Amino acid sequence: MSEREVRLQVRDVSKNFGVTKALQNVSFDLYKGEIHALIGENGSGKSTLTNMLTGIYTQEEGKFILDGTHIHSKNQVDANNHGVSIIVQEQGTLDGLTVAENIFLGHEEPFVKFGIRNTRAMNKKANDLLKEYGFDKIKAQKMIDDYNFEDRKLVEIVKSTYFQPKVIVIDETTTALSQEGREELYKQMKRVRDYGGTVIFISHDLEEVLNMSDTITILRDGVYIDTVESKDVTEEDLKKLMVGREVSGNYYRADYGEKVSDEVVLSVKNVSVPGQIKNINIDLHKGEILGIGGLSESGMHEVGKAIFGASFDRSGSVELADGTKINDIPTAIKHSIAYTSKDRDNESVVMNQGIGDNIVLPSLDELAVGKVFESDVKNNKFADKYAHEISVKMVNTKQFVSQLSGGNKQKVVLARWIAKDSDIVVLDSPTRGIDIKVKQDIYQLMDQMRKNGKSIIMISEELMELIGMCDRILIMKDGEINGEIQRSPEVDENALIAKMV
Amino acid sequence: MTNTNAKVLTSKEGIFQKGDLASTLRTILPVIGLVVIFLLFNFLTGGAMVTRFSLIINQVFPIIISAMGVFFIMTMGGLDFSQGSILGIASIVICYVSKVAPIPVAVLAGVLAGATIGAINGFFYVNRKIKSFIVTICTMFLFRGLIKYLTTNSPVAGNANLIYLDTLGFKLTITIGLLVIGFVVFRFTRFGTDLKAIGAGEKAAKFAGIRTNRTKFLIYVLSGAITGIAAFLSVIHIGSVTSSGGNQLETQILIALVLGGMPIAGGAKVNFLNIIVGSFLYVILNSGLNMMGFTTQMNQLIQGIVFLVFVFLFADRDSNEVVK
Repeated sequence: MSEREVRLQVRDVSKNFGVTKALQNVSFDLYKGEIHALIGENGSGKSTLTNMLTGIYTQEEGKFILDGTHIHSKNQVDANNHGVSIIVQEQGTLDGLTVAENIFLGHEEPFVKFGIRNTRAMNKKANDLLKEYGFDKIKAQKMIDDYNFEDRKLVEIVKSTYFQPKVIVIDETTTALSQEGREELYKQMKRVRDYGGTVIFISHDLEEVLNMSDTITILRDGVYIDTVESKDVTEEDLKKLMVGREVSGNYYRADYGEKVSDEVVLSVKNVSVPGQIKNINIDLHKGEILGIGGLSESGMHEVGKAIFGASFDRSGSVELADGTKINDIPTAIKHSIAYTSKDRDNESVVMNQGIGDNIVLPSLDELAVGKVFESDVKNNKFADKYAHEISVKMVNTKQFVSQLSGGNKQKVVLARWIAKDSDIVVLDSPTRGIDIKVKQDIYQLMDQMRKNGKSIIMISEELMELIGMCDRILIMKDGEINGEIQRSPEVDENALIAKMV
Repeated sequence: MTNTNAKVLTSKEGIFQKGDLASTLRTILPVIGLVVIFLLFNFLTGGAMVTRFSLIINQVFPIIISAMGVFFIMTMGGLDFSQGSILGIASIVICYVSKVAPIPVAVLAGVLAGATIGAINGFFYVNRKIKSFIVTICTMFLFRGLIKYLTTNSPVAGNANLIYLDTLGFKLTITIGLLVIGFVVFRFTRFGTDLKAIGAGEKAAKFAGIRTNRTKFLIYVLSGAITGIAAFLSVIHIGSVTSSGGNQLETQILIALVLGGMPIAGGAKVNFLNIIVGSFLYVILNSGLNMMGFTTQMNQLIQGIVFLVFVFLFADRDSNEVVK
């Protein structure tokens, strides 16, 4: 390879989220004209690093040196001005604006004269860009809300690359795209490389990483592991580097071929929620871990809510083995169903309340003395017991949940339902944004619960954990179940992806 | 959003200590304030605070009782500006009914009238999802108008026998009785925990199995009913209702609760003591300033400043919840 010029130097970058060390003294170099992949297990700090670079998170320790100058982006627009942009994992376009307004968000100055915006000029420029990219089907003057997730991602591609950025971050975008969309993205990645830009490419798909990138940097638990040339490594090498030593067999479940009980504990019959899910039928067995996977918009998150009686305007029925119909949350809880939401901060934990209160909340009726009176001593003891059982990292149970890290918040929610001794547990994205250690704890806990005869529904966007943990995986697409995959060591991500898109 | 979260989390230790201090301050300061203001005014008015204590306590009754209902509402993150109008309407109802039926029936009618207005508040707040302060400001004006209409020609007078009930012992018994019941229910049953959870995070409370909508509606009804009892005490003291019956009670309650250390957004940090300390603090401040001969204008000016200082001290900037 010819003499390479350094584009971006990452120097001693660290970031903490409460007690979680998301990044610890990470340093490496990125060069001009390369596609540089950033890989690692979820929670290894990839997104944290790129979010700091692009001004989504505030920088704390360490430096980003771009073409010799130390940059400190205050927000995404500021990052754009430095020549750095990002296509994020979640939705990166804003509702209620037109396509053109989204593309030029924060960069409207060229179209503004005497304080008045020339919308026509802006739309024309946007349409020209869309045409140039070959996305003619998207019209600049239309509202972004009129387009689906995938088209909106295409708009994001235009938004983040039209100004020839020096560095572009592509954060786990490909899983949300169809093959066609992926090809478009690959084309743009190569275009950026060809004009001398640098692409930071984050992906869980190792095959894709090896095909697309020139260089690969591996992070694990927030620590820099190594940077390798793509041509020198295989998928196996990368896996080894990513997972490292201590996480082996007992990370996910180790067993295969175990027979699941025939006893059905919960049946979902013809459940529909307008605009979300259509005709969902599920039988959950005793002691089973049932996975539900799909794209984020596939409706899978709504299935969890529907089972818990939390959906608005649901039709069809959710029935327990004894015929009890679950139509609202209190009934669900009373009949031993537990639910943890993907939206942890709003729907799972009461943020501005103590850990103890959060744990006892669903069990208050059982704890009441003479069915009416609550005893502080008894309740505290109860909360303390379960907080410790599941080892929540805290000062004491009086501490507010808002002060805990994501992983510990999740532990509080789990402690709540373990304390309640729920038999049917619906976990929506239980390990989202959680570091590897706590993740392992959660997986082990699920395995233990399964062995104790509890039934679990795990809804997750992370295919690896579905494959690793579930007896059965249902794949959803466009609000319907699009396939079922049985537990087997042969199942890989591609088998699931094929049914998702 | 993400930014601020990250900041809060990284300086976790600091915030925890600060939070501890703030909550201690929140409990202690109003009590100290109460003692200081009482002693100060007693000194400034040459002992009038003690000699004219019955005057003060009579002002406390309606405020402290109706403040209990508003305390429940504010705990779950709502507000109520219609309390004054509820008191006025309930008083008028009690007066009317007392002339044609036995007094206990009149009281019941007053409680029902209060509960009905509370139910109207609750319906628009919960079912129509309108912010509580908007709804209650609307009902405040609506029922204030009705009070003025009903009292246009002359004040509405009640049964003459009502006045005989106006003894300190009777009013004290009712007030203390209500406060004790309220305290026990709030502190030692899941009622209080549920309200605090709704105030601290309504959606999460719902997902933890609390029937949030039903609770919110019933609390507005309850609060209206409680104010119906406050109206009864007010009627036996005054004997009739004028167009200004219950006027400004809503602001007096709000000021009293905030002076008592109540966080405006409600949630886990509320304390039942807020009601008692706050009501006394407000009434003593108000009467003290009056006794010292300040003009009404001056009195309001000073109250405004004190109120601002307390709001500043007790504002919960960490949670920064929007009042619903």
